Amino acid sequence: MLDIRDLLVNYGTIRAVRGIGFNLAKGELVSLLGANGAGKSTTLKCIAGALKASGGSITLDGTNITSASPEQVVRAGLATVPETRDVFPDLTVSENLMLGAYIHRRDRAGNRDNLERVHNLFPRLAEREGQAAGTLSGGEQQMLVIARALMSRPSVLLLDEPSLGLAPAIVERIFEMIETLKRTGLTILLVEQNVNQTLAVADRAYIMRLGKIVASGTANEIRSTTDLSAHYLGG
Amino acid sequence: MGFAIQFVIDVLSLGGAYALMALGLVIIYGILRLVNFAYGELIMVAGYTMYLTSGSGLPWIMMAVFAVVMAVAFGIFTDYAAFRPVRAKSVTAVLITSFAFSNLLQNAALLFISPRPRNVPLPEIFSQTVSIGGAITPVRNLITIAASIVLLAAVAFLMRKTTLGIAMRAAATNFTMARMLGVPANLIISSAFALSGFLAGVVGILWIGRIGTVVPGIGLEPLLVAFIATVIGGMRSLSGAVFGGFLLALIDTTLNYTLSQDLLKFRDAFTFGLVILILLWRPEGLIRGPASGQRT
Amino acid sequence: MKHSYLTAIILLGVILVIGIGSQMLGIRLYDRIATNLMISLVLVVGLQTFMGNSGLLSFAHIGFMGLGAYTSAVLTIPAQMKSMALPDLYGFMKVVEISPLFAMIAAGLVAALVAAVVAYPLMRLSDAAAVITSFALLVVLYTIMNNWSAFTNGPRTLFGLPKTTDMPIAAVLAAVVVVVALAFKESRTGTLLRASREDEVAAAALGTNIPHLRWRAFILAAFIAGIGGALWGHFITSFAPKAFYLKETFLIITMLVIGGANTVTGAVAGTILVTVAYEGLRGTEGALNATSFGAGQVIGLTEIVLALAMIAVMILKPGGIFPNREIGHILIRARRKKEIVAQ
Repeated sequence: MLDIRDLLVNYGTIRAVRGIGFNLAKGELVSLLGANGAGKSTTLKCIAGALKASGGSITLDGTNITSASPEQVVRAGLATVPETRDVFPDLTVSENLMLGAYIHRRDRAGNRDNLERVHNLFPRLAEREGQAAGTLSGGEQQMLVIARALMSRPSVLLLDEPSLGLAPAIVERIFEMIETLKRTGLTILLVEQNVNQTLAVADRAYIMRLGKIVASGTANEIRSTTDLSAHYLGG
Repeated sequence: MGFAIQFVIDVLSLGGAYALMALGLVIIYGILRLVNFAYGELIMVAGYTMYLTSGSGLPWIMMAVFAVVMAVAFGIFTDYAAFRPVRAKSVTAVLITSFAFSNLLQNAALLFISPRPRNVPLPEIFSQTVSIGGAITPVRNLITIAASIVLLAAVAFLMRKTTLGIAMRAAATNFTMARMLGVPANLIISSAFALSGFLAGVVGILWIGRIGTVVPGIGLEPLLVAFIATVIGGMRSLSGAVFGGFLLALIDTTLNYTLSQDLLKFRDAFTFGLVILILLWRPEGLIRGPASGQRT
Repeated sequence: MKHSYLTAIILLGVILVIGIGSQMLGIRLYDRIATNLMISLVLVVGLQTFMGNSGLLSFAHIGFMGLGAYTSAVLTIPAQMKSMALPDLYGFMKVVEISPLFAMIAAGLVAALVAAVVAYPLMRLSDAAAVITSFALLVVLYTIMNNWSAFTNGPRTLFGLPKTTDMPIAAVLAAVVVVVALAFKESRTGTLLRASREDEVAAAALGTNIPHLRWRAFILAAFIAGIGGALWGHFITSFAPKAFYLKETFLIITMLVIGGANTVTGAVAGTILVTVAYEGLRGTEGALNATSFGAGQVIGLTEIVLALAMIAVMILKPGGIFPNREIGHILIRARRKKEIVAQ
């Protein structure tokens, strides 16, 4: 479904991602783990089209999207939820969701159905429809960005640290929701620091360190064979 | 009574024009962080279009529509010709480019048209006066008020109710995120320039309606008004720009009525002094813009 | 620090060469152009002290130049001429007549004082708002010069300033201003300001009061602009407020930006380059006007070419010719590299 090969990304003179490769099969939930600064978010931003790759290729369902713009990437069926939890704070919840469906804006009936689905998934958002997104709590904003991404009807969803800075109870609910999404057949790439919870939902995982992939395998393999703390603590 | 009506009409007509000018500037600034010095030249373009078509025998309203269309086209053209190549560089580079482009357009008008004022055709109604409750006021003031009400309402509708408008507001807080939802960057930017050009075109006609002539430097005063109004209103808020426009008109009109002839020459200096006082109190402007949305 | 000395020596050398060269040619036109160049250097390098360190564009600089020019005029026009040159001048000022040197210092002080009062709130504004208000400030200063007839003779030409500026004096002042600008750049205020541009949040966290630093730089720039105005006034001896407005603002900003606003070297290089281009274009325009058979005047051609040049520089080299390093720094680096290669 999503195939990354030899990806290189530079921030000015800093080489943030140094030739990594991984892939996601249809319906799979794959996780990208690693410490801060390992290059995970950079990888995601590059796939989303927000950063230019300096080398390698990104293929989505057979189409090359390596140098596509962000708007082309989402049209190709890949939606991104950035770690910065970028709701549009002055827009209402429903305006935020409406923009999520921007690429399908002519298909009003389809959007209505989709909105209903999203509201079923996140009943809280239905309650807050008319409220400015900036007034929501952190957990609600996280739900909103995920819901907004779903409104574009993606075949692949990139989630960047959805649990970042949220209370444990909310983190729990976010992971439940990720499992629910997985059951709908959505292909998901989940970037996380929260190792245990992530491995509990992921099919497979890759571990990044200093811009490279240092380990990979099924969730169980990773759990049993890899000394994760070494990768996190830089040992 | 008559005096009060006169005062209110003056404030509203001046304020309406100021608000539209400020709005056209802040729409571009909000999305691109670009202070468009060439904004005043859009008014100049509208004026010269009217002058150049004045011999064509077209009905006035057609000429006016054509002038607005030219301002819109020029707005989009400035973006492609001058700003796109430098946009990725730095904010100062874009600012300097817009300043240079403004100079370029003005001097092109000097060179190819004339440094001297040119007459712009105006329909009779612009020079007629009407008496309302004892106050005698030019009809063009009422036209300005009506036009600004219609346009402000239309812009409010566009920005609040249409997908394009909501996408533009979204792009103003976080352009990259908007693009990641599939909102095309070029569409948003061109729409912003088109809207800015449209407002400048309409304001240009109303503005020139007061004077009846166009000169290469005609855009300076409106530009300055828009600058000051946006700074008092808050650089990044559309409603702030409108509010700033009306406030500035209130200040100007009050000074017009109260200052003696000798001091009236210094009106701009007094206005500016007041603006400085406002900014001492509120450096961010009176109405806060949208939060930047980034929370990293 | 060492390379700033080298920069100073090179830039002063350039000023000296131009100064002596223009005199040796013995052509009046070149003398005039060289004097104008030196005065422009004072203004452009003065603007660089603010813009280069704070990163903010100031449009008000020429306004302060105007303040300086008028201050010096009021103080130096001979008492017997004042009733003609400035008929509305307040009585007590009519008898004042001081030496041009003191008047020049007074001109700088008046400009600095006005800048200090007006600019404090402006320096607290966000970048864009600060730039915009500096533009508004220019317009306001112009309005005042245009209307305060008692001091300025209104929009009419003010005449009668003693002609005390010549090429050597202008060159000496230009040299002093270059040294001041280099020293300010290396001073604590200058260094902190430039650091704050890189990372405003970090600088603020270190306890630097950025608006205050900007304010100091702005006052210094206004002081230099005031001096430059007086210098120019005593060269041209008669002028009107429109000499201190958009056209001149555009010109000095073009000089600074094409050369590179971040460096004093850039300010000097830009001034020389644009002055040469400007004189050349003016000459062409004049020639065109002389040959065109009354078909109308060619006006604005010079500005069009300069504007195009400025846009081209912004696209190709947004930092100008000398974007980051002073000439001394560049030379020392180049030599070091050569040495390394030789070893």
